[in-house]
Amino acid sequence: MPRVAYEDAALTVWRGKDALQFIDGLSTNKTIGMVKGEIRRTVFTSSKAKIIDLATVFHMGEFLAVITHKSQLEDLLNHITPRILDQDVAIVDVTSRNTFGVEYNCSNTKVGLFDTFDGETFGYVHENYTIIVASLDANREFPRELGEFNEWRIENKIPWNGYEISNKYHPLAAGLENLVHPKKGCYIGQEVLVRMASRGRQGKKLVQIENSAVAEKSVTTAGKEKSLAIVRDSNQ
Amino acid sequence: MDCGTCETTGPVQVMAPQVVDVNLTISVKAQEMLGDAFGDDRSMALLVGVLSGGCSGYMYDLQIVEETDQVCQEINIDGFRVLVPKASSHLLDGIEIDYVDRLMGGGFKINNPNAESSCGCGESFA
Repeated sequence: MPRVAYEDAALTVWRGKDALQFIDGLSTNKTIGMVKGEIRRTVFTSSKAKIIDLATVFHMGEFLAVITHKSQLEDLLNHITPRILDQDVAIVDVTSRNTFGVEYNCSNTKVGLFDTFDGETFGYVHENYTIIVASLDANREFPRELGEFNEWRIENKIPWNGYEISNKYHPLAAGLENLVHPKKGCYIGQEVLVRMASRGRQGKKLVQIENSAVAEKSVTTAGKEKSLAIVRDSNQ
Repeated sequence: MDCGTCETTGPVQVMAPQVVDVNLTISVKAQEMLGDAFGDDRSMALLVGVLSGGCSGYMYDLQIVEETDQVCQEINIDGFRVLVPKASSHLLDGIEIDYVDRLMGGGFKINNPNAESSCGCGESFA
């Protein structure tokens, strides 16, 4: 399967008995009830439901390993750390100890789980792609050329950080609706997202579109013939 | 994955909020309801805390406790022991604890001058 570097990935370790509850209370997906060996993705959102960062949570047993993004890490920490108060949550940034990649165009049967072997941890976050975290000791290098990966993303309508996943959009517009849990308790931005979902009016949505058929300003990932774009939903 | 289990990596710095001397008031109606809840046993305390989460980012946490692990300020208001965790004192200074007597949405309510916004149910604020 082809691989590509996930250069913007950041890895933090979250310890403390309140860590899962803390993430659950501030993000769109349910993380309560996760057990060792599970992986789950969730989105930290602002009070206006705009994306702060997409997080991939690995339940490691004694602690949580959370992949977010270097470009968003400062904003994310500024958002969450004042809310720790006296809860039992401690966060350590271990990004520099690891390299990150993505294996794509695969057929994962273990979505929601992860495996570790040969110095690499494979997070099966999606049916068709896997996040790989390798410790520096494993000496892994991932190709940095994103062209083919982005063409694959366009073909499969996969949103990505820095393209569709940005603080300009809310999760429903960015193609992350599967990470917005419909029945979980309150979190920041929930009222906005629930209102949009219940009224069937999410404003914008992620589409795959022929290059000739879309205004350039709406394009989030430009491909050779097709692109991904976030456009106003014409059905609304 | 190297998660830094050798503990050589320092924790992300968390800005410790400033601890303030909390002033809070309890309305007459809320005192009546607390009196019913406490009975004659005034060794118990009302813990007024804040948790992260909720629609607006912070949620109030009211409990009747004997004691708590949290480092708290203890205030005596008209014979009631009130505990306020120091970590959330900056969010709770100046609040009024009220009681709203109605079938839907009734119960203890907190009026907080520090809150920029609050959610519809009144349990969460920012």
